Amino acid sequence: MLDLEALKNEALKAIEEADSKTLEDLRIEYLSKKGKVQSLMAQMRDLSAEEKPKFGQMVNDLKNSIQEAMDLKKEKLESAMLNARLMAEKLDITLDAYAPKQGTLHPLTLVQNELEDVFIGMGYNVAEGPEVESDLYNFTKANTPEGHPARDMQDTFYIDPTHLLRSQTTAIQMRVLEADANNLPIKVICPGKVYRRDDDDATHSHQFMQCEGLVIGENITVADLKGTLELMIHELFDKDAKIRFRPSYFPFTEPSFEVDMTCHICHGKGCPTCKGTGWIEILGSGMVHPNVLEMAGIDSKKYTGFAFGVGIERVAMLKYGITDIRDLYTNDIRFLDGFKR
Amino acid sequence: MKLSLKWLSDFIDLSGLSDEQIIDQMVKCGFEVESVEKLSEGTNLVVGKVIECKDHPNSDHLHVTKTDIGTEVLDIVCGAPNCRQGLKVIVAKVGAKLPGGEIKAGVIRGEASNGMLCSLKELGIKEEILPADSPSINGIEELDDRFEVGDTDILNKLGYEDTILDVSIYANRPDCLSMYAMAKEMGAILNRKVTLPDFNGVANIGDKSDFVLTSESENCPHFLAKVVNKVTIKESPDWMKQHLRANGVKCINNLVDISNYVMLETGQPLHFYDLRSNKAKEITVRDDYEGTYTALDGIEYRIEKGDLMITSENKPIGIAGIMGGDNTKILDDTSSLIIEAALFDHAQIRRTANRLGLQTEAAARFSKGLEPLAQNKAVDRAVQLLIELADASGFEETVEYGKPDYEPYEIRESLTHLNALIGKKYTMDEAVSVMKRLSFDVRVEKDDFITSIPSYRSTDLVIPEDIDEEIVRLTDFDDLTATLPLMPQTVGKLTSIQKIRRVIRDILTKHGFYDTVNYTLVNDKYIREAILPAGKPVELISPLSDARRYVRTSLMNSLLEALSYNLDHNNGNVNIFEISKVYSENGEEERLGIIMEGNTIEEKLKHLVLKADFYVIKGIVMEILNSLGFELGRIQLKENDLDVTHFHPYQSAVLIMNNKPLCIFGKLHPIYLRSLKLNDVYYAEMILDDLASTNPGKVKAPVISKYPAVSRDISLMVKEDVKAADLLACIKKAGGRLVKSSDVFDVYMGEHIEAGYKSISLNIVYEDKEKTLKTEDVNDVHNKVVEELLSRFDATQR
Repeated sequence: MLDLEALKNEALKAIEEADSKTLEDLRIEYLSKKGKVQSLMAQMRDLSAEEKPKFGQMVNDLKNSIQEAMDLKKEKLESAMLNARLMAEKLDITLDAYAPKQGTLHPLTLVQNELEDVFIGMGYNVAEGPEVESDLYNFTKANTPEGHPARDMQDTFYIDPTHLLRSQTTAIQMRVLEADANNLPIKVICPGKVYRRDDDDATHSHQFMQCEGLVIGENITVADLKGTLELMIHELFDKDAKIRFRPSYFPFTEPSFEVDMTCHICHGKGCPTCKGTGWIEILGSGMVHPNVLEMAGIDSKKYTGFAFGVGIERVAMLKYGITDIRDLYTNDIRFLDGFKR
Repeated sequence: MKLSLKWLSDFIDLSGLSDEQIIDQMVKCGFEVESVEKLSEGTNLVVGKVIECKDHPNSDHLHVTKTDIGTEVLDIVCGAPNCRQGLKVIVAKVGAKLPGGEIKAGVIRGEASNGMLCSLKELGIKEEILPADSPSINGIEELDDRFEVGDTDILNKLGYEDTILDVSIYANRPDCLSMYAMAKEMGAILNRKVTLPDFNGVANIGDKSDFVLTSESENCPHFLAKVVNKVTIKESPDWMKQHLRANGVKCINNLVDISNYVMLETGQPLHFYDLRSNKAKEITVRDDYEGTYTALDGIEYRIEKGDLMITSENKPIGIAGIMGGDNTKILDDTSSLIIEAALFDHAQIRRTANRLGLQTEAAARFSKGLEPLAQNKAVDRAVQLLIELADASGFEETVEYGKPDYEPYEIRESLTHLNALIGKKYTMDEAVSVMKRLSFDVRVEKDDFITSIPSYRSTDLVIPEDIDEEIVRLTDFDDLTATLPLMPQTVGKLTSIQKIRRVIRDILTKHGFYDTVNYTLVNDKYIREAILPAGKPVELISPLSDARRYVRTSLMNSLLEALSYNLDHNNGNVNIFEISKVYSENGEEERLGIIMEGNTIEEKLKHLVLKADFYVIKGIVMEILNSLGFELGRIQLKENDLDVTHFHPYQSAVLIMNNKPLCIFGKLHPIYLRSLKLNDVYYAEMILDDLASTNPGKVKAPVISKYPAVSRDISLMVKEDVKAADLLACIKKAGGRLVKSSDVFDVYMGEHIEAGYKSISLNIVYEDKEKTLKTEDVNDVHNKVVEELLSRFDATQR
């Protein structure tokens, strides 16, 4: 009987000290058909009939205990091995990730898309028109007849005496007014490239982009213009921005306003961006001049409307802190790469 | 427009208003102030007397003075040549802030100096506005007996204390280019009373005149001339000189100064001719003169047909509206003169002034337009001042050609219309008080208020909305409540082309391409080297430079320029694109240009490099088209027969849709690239208009077969010019409905392959949508496909 207990202790001790190689040897040594446990069965012959089952039971228990200990040990060893293997696979998580290289949208595209999305959300459509334009749409229909002093405000690239590179996206508005004169109300924005005879420097470009907006309907007011522009500024710059109107002059609107917004950097406290004033001049606007409506064949007694125009470069430069407009036309990919979102 | 606040205070009481308050009000009312300039600047100034002046022991030009400033005697070293004992001078004490900096106590070459004796130039006064004989030009200012030692009110007493605002005037307010109109405007802005000199009708004096005045140009509709037989030339009074100087006008003598001064006051450019130079007593305005003419600046100008000229006896005596002539100008001994006040067409004056590069004050005013009664007002005021300041007498009656184009009129506006347009609730009192502030006559009839428009506002105020703007402008507007338009709900959406642009930009940026914006105007080389040029180029009449003379007809050169810029700045792997319109005499086209240089994928850590090549750019082009719903089939792929000058003839292709070129792409020609110092560049240019106007294929959900597919590979040895597309088409045809898909997975030429041949390996997937394919079925169809391939392409199986 003592043999059993001793054998058990011997086996458990050996299992405890085994490694993955010797564990299999121990199984053979103890649990195989010719193993130490099985050979105990030989003692059965010497036992009485009532002792036999008891002994058999004890041997079986012993076998189970050893098997159990071995299983446990095996599991332990496997888990240690796995752990060691995983540890060997340890990575430097700070190494650069692999992500397919993405390009970027140009900042001018970003601003244009943002403007389009804001106004599409308000039910506007996006109208376009030719950049090689006739002076009819660029000037005449915008209440700027030949010889009008306002034609002096913009030095224009002419192609022939009556054709030009459009100097303002107002030309698109005039086309929309004419096309939709019998299809009112109108709600559009008109983004696009425009051209003026300016020498390029940090703040001037002979080519730039504008986005104008035009709403024509019944009972449209300056207050509606203010609400619309406030919404736009909130979306583009700062949801708490305030705007103010300053009287201005454009031939195609009456009354006309310059619109300032509270500085998006300092929120109106005053900083270098707003030259300490807390305000930034952001766009021009006004109520569509009755002459413009009449020229398009719209009854100015019945319908009113507002128009506004914002410089896309100006918005981009303010939003992204760009100080030289030429950076927007150099297409240096180190610059473009900064506009990932 | 320069606005001297000192001059303005002659007409409006500005007391209690700081410069900042005035400017703030102006900005609110629509007058942007571009700059604020102090005519003179300096603190801590006091009148002193030089009581001792010795030569500096260590200098050949400095003086060592003792200067009495009343409270003490200061040691001051002074370098001015006119510094001498007994002189009354302006002393800047220690701590004085001058435009050049702060005055500190110091030692100059061993002598103590506690202050500075000043020239007016050191107090910020520009030399050009100083009198020609001013001691301040070469030395320190010499004060006269009006000044007592210890006085501190110096700059004001000298007439140099003034703030000059540079006000930007909108094109609708040319009237504000005159001091009187500006004063009226400022009265309205500041809500203060305006008092202007009265000179109405002063010129209605004089004997009968035989002076003959005519205009032979419709661009001079009104002209006044008045002969003054006796004037005395002398120096102008100080007040006039001060105002002229503040406006940057040089003072010459009383006659020239009066003509300039009246222009500043009334906005009407005046010209005085020496009567001796006009023997014929005749002036004719013409626009048919051609030749050269020397103006009073001594420069000879080239005059063309159309330019307005003042002539006498058929000879030019002045360039109308721009500058008088050298041969008729006021001289030092002038004793009689002719006053000219005319109206010239603003557009014509602008054209002539621009062409001659002569931007005079007169030209600027004519170019912007004059108020209709300006000529009469100016002559009245000139006569008044000539009598007052030049002892003028011997007047002849005013001779007039034409009539002023002005009839008094009224504008009727209703409170209802005003409030409906603005979205605010103005009261009649508010509306009327604005009209009164503007000194307009106004009367109320029920809901209407009717305003008489004075001549000087007639260019600007025509319709009721113009009146509304005046009310908005001159009342507080910051409290306007913001609302949104109440309109029928509409769906806003992008047009087809707008959506296409977004899809393309999305795909390309996801593949690592950068969106660029390039200039539309290009040089002639870019026009010559255009890809699929849109047509005959559009050319500017007067470009800024030859580099920007034409409107581009294709995008490639702009992108190549951007590529070169990036390579020059060590930016490798340049994958960029642009979407833009191009133009020609045929109209506009919307295009996409894509450039690939270097590697499309470069992941060093992963040892992953995909160099740009023909198939990469083809893949990008096809992915764009597929994403837009256009597949091969609707689009034909052809070898490039459109442009083999710029493209590699054997590594480029064109896509055709609706029988028109849709896209050209491939490797650029090495010879062309060499001329640009570039290597291996791949390019695609696509015309987008047809994609927008053609309906794309419909999206249809794929039907997944319930039965397994069977895949077979086959390797063929074929002649090198056999095309993959032909093999695949053959498989499809021979295999019929059981061929689910087929593709090429390997192409090999070189070792172990006979010259002129290539090995091409294809994978074919068979599938039956109705049943599981048995091996025999697959064998049958596959054998048929193989046989067909072998016989059609004279191929052998490997």
